[in-house]
Amino acid sequence: MNAIVVLILAALGIVVGYGFYARRIDRDIIQPDPKKATPAKMYMDGVDFTPASRNVLFGYQFKSIAALGPITGPIVAVAWGWLPALIWIILGTFFIGWVQDYGSMMMSTRRDGDTMGALSYKLVSPRARNILLLFIYFYILLIMGAFGNLIGKGLMVNTKVPFGMLAVTLMGVLAGQMTYKWKRDIILTTVVTVVLSFVGIWLSTQPAVSNIFSALYGFRMVEGKAVSPTIFLGNTQAQVIGTLLVVIFCYLGSVLPIWAWAQPVNYVSFWIIALGMLGGILGMLIWRPGMGDFPAFTQFTIGAGPLWPMLFVTIACGAISGWHSLVSTSGTARQLENEVDALPVGGGAMFMEMALATISFLTATVAFGSFKAYQDAAKPGALGVFAEGLARFLDHIGVPHDFGVAYGSVFLVIMGLTIMQLAVRFMRVASSELLGDKVPVMKNIHVGTIIALLLTILFVWIIPWLTIWVAFGAANQLMAGLALMLVALWLLSEGKKHTWALYPSIFMIVTTIAALLFVAYDNLIRKLPTAKTVQASIAYILIGVICLLLIVAAVMLIQDGLAALRKWRAKAAEKAA
Amino acid sequence: MRESIREKIRLARRVVGEIFYGMVLHDMVLGLRRQRGEVERLFALILFGDMIGLPILPPYYTLRLLPYVMPALHRWKRSLLRERDLTDLAELIEAVD
Repeated sequence: MNAIVVLILAALGIVVGYGFYARRIDRDIIQPDPKKATPAKMYMDGVDFTPASRNVLFGYQFKSIAALGPITGPIVAVAWGWLPALIWIILGTFFIGWVQDYGSMMMSTRRDGDTMGALSYKLVSPRARNILLLFIYFYILLIMGAFGNLIGKGLMVNTKVPFGMLAVTLMGVLAGQMTYKWKRDIILTTVVTVVLSFVGIWLSTQPAVSNIFSALYGFRMVEGKAVSPTIFLGNTQAQVIGTLLVVIFCYLGSVLPIWAWAQPVNYVSFWIIALGMLGGILGMLIWRPGMGDFPAFTQFTIGAGPLWPMLFVTIACGAISGWHSLVSTSGTARQLENEVDALPVGGGAMFMEMALATISFLTATVAFGSFKAYQDAAKPGALGVFAEGLARFLDHIGVPHDFGVAYGSVFLVIMGLTIMQLAVRFMRVASSELLGDKVPVMKNIHVGTIIALLLTILFVWIIPWLTIWVAFGAANQLMAGLALMLVALWLLSEGKKHTWALYPSIFMIVTTIAALLFVAYDNLIRKLPTAKTVQASIAYILIGVICLLLIVAAVMLIQDGLAALRKWRAKAAEKAA
Repeated sequence: MRESIREKIRLARRVVGEIFYGMVLHDMVLGLRRQRGEVERLFALILFGDMIGLPILPPYYTLRLLPYVMPALHRWKRSLLRERDLTDLAELIEAVD
């Protein structure tokens, strides 16, 4: 199949899904009232509750939900063949993804801007809020492990990448100084820092610079191949140093003032990412490659597990993601100027993310020309596939291949790191809030950060990335199932049709519990007895136990959810009578 | 006709500009707003004594400052008394997946 045909199919999914299905539900069931005051207007506090225009919020929502998830998931999932992955990306968004993002946004808007914690407390049970917090904690931990692994042990091992990452980071810091301290014009700041970042990425491909990292990583020629020695817990010197560079970045992102590090680094990296995506799409349109011998379907069970349920947790964010409901409620719903904006903002951003997932799907399926070439590129990790695929698209707009690979890698490293630094900041604040009163030392920003990073290192160094990725996807999708259940309960409490949210919720909860059971079984029953090292045993136990914990939490939630469903149904019947 | 095309172009430019602003700068503005909010809360707290007739700082200065705080009193109260939990912090982590 040709790349252009895939793009047309995705566009059709958007036109029909958004233009007909989503609009119809918005018009006939939710019935947004343009005259009704939104929480942003009612509770305007100039901080969290402040109205913003729908276009601004669309951009904000899209940037808040789209990052490495929609890029990584499809690349892994095409190992089942391109057809199941493409069907899930398009139909998942069509029937489930936008329902969650838009539904949770509308639910929060109609419920005084409450966040997911407060909503689960009020609509399900007090216990549901605590269970949600448990999900969030493990979700963040698994994000740190999955992204840390893909970046620290994958991309950073390429000696042509670390200098580019350092250059973009330093330019971010410079952008912060220029904007906030020296009060320079934003256009001048952008031009200087982005151009210098590109110079840094180009320098990173030069032998004089990459050789410094070769020496640092201890690369030696063994049988004509550069090899880094294994030094700690089965990790090479390159992987250990790569992970430590990631950890240092996150530490600074967590403890430094947000204006000095996290914010400006995010700002500069936005340009690096946006220009890369634009160049990649242009290159693809000029090239218009086909899928070659890439099979539509390979086999039911692959390395990640059986197609059902594992495909549905492997592609999380490109089709549906639980995290979106948290962003929609705590961030965007409190800034909606008008109820009618919820569909273009919540639904529209999700359909846009589907487009991003489709582009990522294409880098894996069409850029390599054959299934074998894709499999070879995927061996070190999914992100390597994207970097190489992007470089091949950029070849067609005249970007040298070596620079393209380094650029694609830095693009992904910086994309992952900007998330990780904020995740560490969140873990630090969460541990301070949860434990600060009982253990005063947890209020210290360095202590909270170091504990979060030690847990991250543990995950990164001992657990294989694909195992963490599927566990992360399962936790994320289970949160999505919960969010959809909340939306269904809210609709029921308002006496509205709720099956369009309830059926997707049932599908997501059943699928993700099955996925968690599979991962727990795979690690604890199949792999643990044959583990050859203590490190491998710890890894299997750790992931297996986390999955079991999440299953127990999910079962408790289902129990409470069913009780709430009965309660709201009875109330609705009472009202009707 | 020409005027309507111009108007459409102006509208398209505004929409693209706003989306762009939302993607690139809105979160930075939100961060700064939060920082300002924290400072304003502290400021209002300092003057709280005067609001209820129990001055903490020498009254001359607080009485000079009071007119600046009074208009924001309701906002301050709402922001301070709002119930929060950890899911409120989720917006701190943008672009997670």
